[in-house]
Amino acid sequence: MRGKAFVLVLVLVVALGACGGSSSGGVDLTQPVVVDLDNPPPDKLSAYNLFTWDPATGLAFNESEQRIVPYDLNTPLFSDFALKQRAIYVPPGAAATFDPELAFEFPDGSVLIKNFSFPADFRAPEDNVTLVETRLLVRYPDGWHALPYIWDDAQQDAVLSPAGEVRLITFVDATGQTQMANYLIPQRNQCGSCHARKPTKETNPELVPIGIKARHLTRTYADGDDSYDQLGRLVEREMLDTASAVTPAYDFRPIEAGGVAAIPAADVERAARDYLDINCAHCHNPSGVQGITSQLFLDHATTDPFHLGVCKRPGSAAAGTGGFSFDVVPGDPDTSILYFRTHTTQVGAMMPLLGRSVTHTRGAELVHAWIAAMTPLVCSALQ
Amino acid sequence: MKPTRLTPVFLCAAFAACGDNKGTPAVNTCDGIENCVEIDGGDVKTLQNLANSLEPNTTIVLGAGTFAMTNSLTIRAAGAHVIGQGIDVTILDFAPTTTQVNGVDVVGDNFLIQDLTVQDSPKDGIRVEDSNGVVFRRIRATWTTPSDPTNGGYGIYPVKSQNVLVENSRAEAASDAGLYVGQCQHVIVRNNTVSGNVAGLEIENTQYADVFGNTADDNTGGILVFDLPGNPIVGHDIRLRNNTIRNNNHLNFAPGGVVGKIPVGTGTFAMASRRVEITGNTYINNGTTDIALISGLAIESDPTKWELPTASLTGDWEDLGLIPGATPNTIMNWRGENILVADNTHTGSGLHPDTSDPLMLGILLIVAYAGTPVDNVVYDSILETTFDSTDPAKNSNDNHMCVGGNTGGTFASMSLDHQTVDTIVPFFRPAAPFAPFDCTDLTGGPVAQVVLP
Repeated sequence: MRGKAFVLVLVLVVALGACGGSSSGGVDLTQPVVVDLDNPPPDKLSAYNLFTWDPATGLAFNESEQRIVPYDLNTPLFSDFALKQRAIYVPPGAAATFDPELAFEFPDGSVLIKNFSFPADFRAPEDNVTLVETRLLVRYPDGWHALPYIWDDAQQDAVLSPAGEVRLITFVDATGQTQMANYLIPQRNQCGSCHARKPTKETNPELVPIGIKARHLTRTYADGDDSYDQLGRLVEREMLDTASAVTPAYDFRPIEAGGVAAIPAADVERAARDYLDINCAHCHNPSGVQGITSQLFLDHATTDPFHLGVCKRPGSAAAGTGGFSFDVVPGDPDTSILYFRTHTTQVGAMMPLLGRSVTHTRGAELVHAWIAAMTPLVCSALQ
Repeated sequence: MKPTRLTPVFLCAAFAACGDNKGTPAVNTCDGIENCVEIDGGDVKTLQNLANSLEPNTTIVLGAGTFAMTNSLTIRAAGAHVIGQGIDVTILDFAPTTTQVNGVDVVGDNFLIQDLTVQDSPKDGIRVEDSNGVVFRRIRATWTTPSDPTNGGYGIYPVKSQNVLVENSRAEAASDAGLYVGQCQHVIVRNNTVSGNVAGLEIENTQYADVFGNTADDNTGGILVFDLPGNPIVGHDIRLRNNTIRNNNHLNFAPGGVVGKIPVGTGTFAMASRRVEITGNTYINNGTTDIALISGLAIESDPTKWELPTASLTGDWEDLGLIPGATPNTIMNWRGENILVADNTHTGSGLHPDTSDPLMLGILLIVAYAGTPVDNVVYDSILETTFDSTDPAKNSNDNHMCVGGNTGGTFASMSLDHQTVDTIVPFFRPAAPFAPFDCTDLTGGPVAQVVLP
């Protein structure tokens, strides 16, 4: 018996060796990515052969065809502090189409990969990392399909989980405080609450990516030794047809690290608007269902003060008002509903609706600073 | 009268679990139903995996028991039927849900939900949006903590939908409206009970609704019809008939918003509404008043906020008498007009007007009536051409308010736009048949019959 067991272990070690030292469900980084649009999506994430994951050494993407490019966003969406690792896969022989303003169009078989993980202690973000979920947006002929995969406890593979999960996750944040998040792994039907767009009043909603826009992607990616211009890398690999210069969204990282004090005062407005754009504008835009109801438009293109909330009464916010009367009271963030809703953790009042259960301290601080710096107005006098 | 009285009897004969809407097991199964899945009571994971990979035209039969939900039950496929084993026998319990979601959240045509209880949703109980063909049958939507401002807003909530039937259901303890029909077209709401809500049953910005056989008991306001400013579906053709609206004297526990302004003790109001019939209802013991006919300017006094571009309007509107806005190619819908009130019975109401509603309507009534009962039907007469406290000939009825057939009750015209806290202009309180408000027919004929496909 003992001898047999030993042989078994040896076989396992050899098998694992072929995957570059990882154990991610049999992923083989020497073989191509597999995106099968003709059959139901696979139950196991490993079937796509996209990347390996090892808590000790991290993620390793499939470079066999040079068709996967990891990327970051200038200002990322906040999701209860989850660390996010993103990458784009475009199948060989096809390319996405650049757009200076809208999300890029992608060829069938493309995959947008987003990994959500938590370290035990954000002061040592590389250590004791648990990969919680991998969300895929896969481009089918009829549009994008959202496919949520949840990682197993052993961190071996992720399983397609339409039901999603709400998981209590405890971690130490960057300031050393213990946080407890009711972290939402969205059920598949909830993907549309951020990703759905109705092109016209009559058409059915379709899923669209949020972050794959030139202004979010125009930045240098840095991961250890690897450093590259993100759009340049996509063009160079012929995964994107072309790219031209746009004004990039503000880089949030200095604020996350050092607070609003870490950026020039003159940049606060732009930083805050870009923060609201990525976190809120997927609903709060002139063609979003909730946006129309609320008449609060937080997309970066909106410029008129009323639709940005200045002295605007809310639509039907009820419990969401915190007892305050106006979305934004210039110069007075502490009586502005916008600030209240972005920092409260009161269920029924906090914004965004999904994906936040704890306060994003630095984000709320930025919104506070933006409103505080406005020329003061007494809103009630205008009514 | 006779056919409407027979209808509930016929329905209850057809459905075993009818009667008092309590939890007699319905014993629903998949037998004889194509594309049907039975799920054991409490098996949340199977339910959620199914709901999130649902094929069109699937029936889900839920077993008896409590489903401890940690997230919304969302439906995004057409033709979904969700059927339990009866009110309080199959319970979708959202108390364990920490995310800000509705309990049951549906976008999908031809949806049916039947024979179950939805309780303690963080937001709305059952919200069905943007769907054509919606049935709620023998549903209970409730919150287990009464009068709690943190309860969800709406219990049963079809919105922006067409061809909607809500029947034999219960809606309780909502911090806004128990049964809320919003921005819908072609709706029947019958034989439901709403209680312990701020607003019991609301018909908002809706076209063609027949509301009958319902009981509104112990809400802040009983059954309410209104348009809100800025909504491009102009409400019209609403019939409230043969409902019981009693004891709607519940504390207003709304956390804010327009609903927080409803005076405690309101039976019915029709606000910024047109082509409404309020007939054959039984009003008992509503402390402020039984029926109020109100202009939208009472809650939003700026007429420009009521402007709607004609190009944005849904459904027919040309013959409604809507007045043009100051902006070209807009109309405004703040006016209450063309409303019929007839054959209602009134008992014991108007004795305890609200002392603290934010609009101070209750205070006005307390001062104006000085301890005598408030009239059963009150009309704000905002912007009527002429008003006089005593002479019928000097009162205009520009808005075609028809109370002539409501001889079982009393009536007053309040001239609300001329009242101040310091000086009360005496109300015009004509005797039946209340000339010049004595008309008995709507302009343009009776409210259209609602026929669901």
